[in-house]
Amino acid sequence: MLDVGRHPNINLLAYSEIEKVDGEVGDFKVTVRRKARYVEEEKCTGCGACKEKCPTVVPDAFNEGLGERKAIYSYFAQGIPSTHTIDPDHCRQLQGKKCGICAKTCQAEAINFDQQDRILEIDVAAIIVCSGYDVFDPSLIPEYRYDQIPNVVTAIEFERLLSASGPTDGHLDRPSDRAIELEIEAFEKKAKKSQKMIQKFEDKYSETSADLYAKYQKGEYKDDEDRVKWAEKYAAHLAVMEPLDALKRKAESFSVAKKLAFIQCVGSRDFRFFPFCSGYCCMHSIKEAIIAHEHETETTSTIFGMDIRAVGKGFEEYKVRGGNHSNITYVRGRVAEITEGPDSNPVVTYEDTKERKVKSEAFDLVILATACAPTKGILELSNILGIELDPYNFVKTSSLSPVDSTRPGIFVCGCAESPMDVPESVAQASSAAERAAESAFQADLKKEEAVA
Amino acid sequence: MSKDILVIGGGIAGIQSSLDLADMGKKVHLVECLPSIGGKMAQLDKTFPTNDCAI
Repeated sequence: MLDVGRHPNINLLAYSEIEKVDGEVGDFKVTVRRKARYVEEEKCTGCGACKEKCPTVVPDAFNEGLGERKAIYSYFAQGIPSTHTIDPDHCRQLQGKKCGICAKTCQAEAINFDQQDRILEIDVAAIIVCSGYDVFDPSLIPEYRYDQIPNVVTAIEFERLLSASGPTDGHLDRPSDRAIELEIEAFEKKAKKSQKMIQKFEDKYSETSADLYAKYQKGEYKDDEDRVKWAEKYAAHLAVMEPLDALKRKAESFSVAKKLAFIQCVGSRDFRFFPFCSGYCCMHSIKEAIIAHEHETETTSTIFGMDIRAVGKGFEEYKVRGGNHSNITYVRGRVAEITEGPDSNPVVTYEDTKERKVKSEAFDLVILATACAPTKGILELSNILGIELDPYNFVKTSSLSPVDSTRPGIFVCGCAESPMDVPESVAQASSAAERAAESAFQADLKKEEAVA
Repeated sequence: MSKDILVIGGGIAGIQSSLDLADMGKKVHLVECLPSIGGKMAQLDKTFPTNDCAI
């Protein structure tokens, strides 16, 4: 990524969208909208002082909503370009309220609330589409209860939990436990406030609040306005402390997730959604199970799937190594249902096809290997580009020209073409690059011939 | 007439195509809709089968 930012031949237009494409191979005219960041790219040094001071907290899309960012943010820590961006939907200043703290903090004077979208016209000879994929939304599968059971997560969410730079610093804290910890934090804040309040009274009257309250309940101090206020404040304090103590006791038993279940083909190979195989999810789950085991050697993982498709150089060996050294059990069987058991543990009901029995088992965390879905924006993009899509909305290609779209001069690679893993995307990307260069060269040659 | 190439999407595929073309001496315009390039791959902790860091 760093190389892209530094390469003299690459003009990086991040935070931009394609608006219009005219012309033909060798001579396309492209209109690009550079969305306003409200931060001037040339001035921003990426120091991050602005986001430390920004008062507005927003769920972090890069961490799949598991973490938080500020209204002024860098998409992720090592992001290229490192320019920060203001989220206009959440920024106080851009929502018409008084703020501007980031502008006061920024020593480079890069904040510009008046920045507008800019329209660029670019002339190009060829175009490569690599617009990627969307993670399939598992809430569409009612029996997996993804949006009801907090400890059922998607593979990409699990990836963020595993990451040392993720919201849990790489610890496999369960989402249900993290929610309770956040609740405790909120209660503690309240308790601190109410404690301060009753402390003032205790100092004033040199009596403990408990004693005062006991006397108050017996009917004393009825006419003493100040002490009545004290008793009321103490009652409010107790109302905060009781649930806080209960939650704290509950939190004592929390530990990281050690018993994991991976469910394969969530949305793929499923005639309700996508009949195709997404290709990378089997290896993705094995990798996540191996990494989880590296983090915590007691971790055990069960991978539920119709079959494990370890097709690729070194992949089968990787799968076997996972089984032998990383406590992975492979179960052949499709999961019928996930329910919530005691201690927020998801319970997986499945058919073990080897034993021909329906079984139920509770896990700490269930990870859904979600399908590779076409991007939502691909319909609009394909209209702009004038290219055809296949029935699933991946870019249409043919088997003899696997990176050529239906419009000459426009090529495709990566998951925009079909589901594929990183090595395959890289190989196809090189192929598309070569085809684009070739078609640009040929168009140029044709023009020269016409002139001659 | 321009000899530049436009690459739409700054994930691993877009990054690889851009670098290949740029190394060939082509001028590349890389358009990404999010604030930073990297795409889904940047969200991955490690990549299989070598368990290399994705970033």
